[in-house]
Amino acid sequence: MSRIVLVPGVLALLPEYAGLADPVDELRAAAAAAVGWLVESPGPVRVVADEQGARVARHLLVEAGHDQAFGAGDERVLVVANGSARRGEKAPGHLDPRAVGFDAALEDALRSSDGAVLQGLDVALAEELLVGHPSGIRDLGARLRAAGPAVVDYDDDPFGVQYWVMRWTCGS
Amino acid sequence: MTLKLGRHEFADDATLMMAIVNRTPDSFYDQGATWAEDKAFERVAEVVAQGAEIVDIGGIKAAPGVEIDAAEEKSRVVDFVARVRASFPDLVISVDTWRAEVGRAVCEAGADVLNDAWGGADPELVDVAAAYDAGIICTHTGGVTPRTRPYRIEYDDVVAAAIADTVAYAERALAAGVDRSSIVIDPAHDFGKNTFHSLELTRRLGEMVDTGWPVLVSLSNKDFVGETLDLPVGERLVGTLAATAVCALAGARIYRVHEVVQTRQTVDMVWTIAGRRPPARAIRGLQ
Repeated sequence: MSRIVLVPGVLALLPEYAGLADPVDELRAAAAAAVGWLVESPGPVRVVADEQGARVARHLLVEAGHDQAFGAGDERVLVVANGSARRGEKAPGHLDPRAVGFDAALEDALRSSDGAVLQGLDVALAEELLVGHPSGIRDLGARLRAAGPAVVDYDDDPFGVQYWVMRWTCGS
Repeated sequence: MTLKLGRHEFADDATLMMAIVNRTPDSFYDQGATWAEDKAFERVAEVVAQGAEIVDIGGIKAAPGVEIDAAEEKSRVVDFVARVRASFPDLVISVDTWRAEVGRAVCEAGADVLNDAWGGADPELVDVAAAYDAGIICTHTGGVTPRTRPYRIEYDDVVAAAIADTVAYAERALAAGVDRSSIVIDPAHDFGKNTFHSLELTRRLGEMVDTGWPVLVSLSNKDFVGETLDLPVGERLVGTLAATAVCALAGARIYRVHEVVQTRQTVDMVWTIAGRRPPARAIRGLQ
């Protein structure tokens, strides 16, 4: 059995960007709990992330007490990716009317562990919509063989960016 | 250094607003607006609501005027201190006095700090601070008599003089038994100084901070601001805040003020620019 966790690559999760008040406290709590679940048993964690996402992953893992180097195994996988950053007029990428529908389809596939849909993600459109690390989502799709439905710990877009914290347990 | 002001302690990166509360009929800024005790009490409640950590209660205006003896000074401040102490247990109460006799009475009534704006004119004030475990503000006045205006005072180096005198005063307080973390130094803008002196002290405040003693600045609406901008009392807030920003960048810890909210925002902004305080809440570009 392997465990997979998805968290968003939110830079506000990093300690160097901490303010007196935490604008992402609920997300942080959900991500911390999910990563804690991921590393319940010792062993290497494979991180699927871009460069910034890797910093977020490293921070979450250290906070969870996991001080081992990133690993190459597949027993524990931490994917750092998120939906569109163009979900509203105040979103970082302003409003793209396609964003909400795109995210909804993506979310359906994540929730139902539909690896085929995730592997077929339209990367070009995803990049237009400022989706966080689309290739990581395709990679996630390839890993969700024989996975049950996702456990969804967080699903919101507080700043016009779609965040999910999800967990999967996959068969052998 | 952790700051211990009577019964209250503050972390070594904290900045503190000391709000001026006059129990005088004739102070330059408010012209007696809080002379009546109830008005002064309302002022305390207002500045507490605005976030001031300290009130500085004074019974005698700094400028020359009608002679106020110790008995009259005590009648203005002692019972008032007791009333504020009872109503605001978390508030630091400072009393602006140079007299040991008054200092003793206000400490009995619950004061935490003795703000000696006249640079140790009464040598026994430090003994009172030590006896009551109170804080003491050690100011530089160039040795002038209390309640006099500067007249043709010059210094070879006003900053060196301010450092020498305040540090000597601080060490005298320490020797008298005042807790090291309860001693604060203050260059005392405009006291025994012309405008050029006060400007230079502002520009070189970092040298006072470098002594290691926590520094208080009292800039609010003073004449050096008025003369610099050619503005009367009542129109000096922007100039005051500009001087405040310079002192904050240099690392001043306590700000004696009339306007709490504006000064707090100025100091928080500069303290954060200096990397000593995080933003309140940052998400822009970090989503």
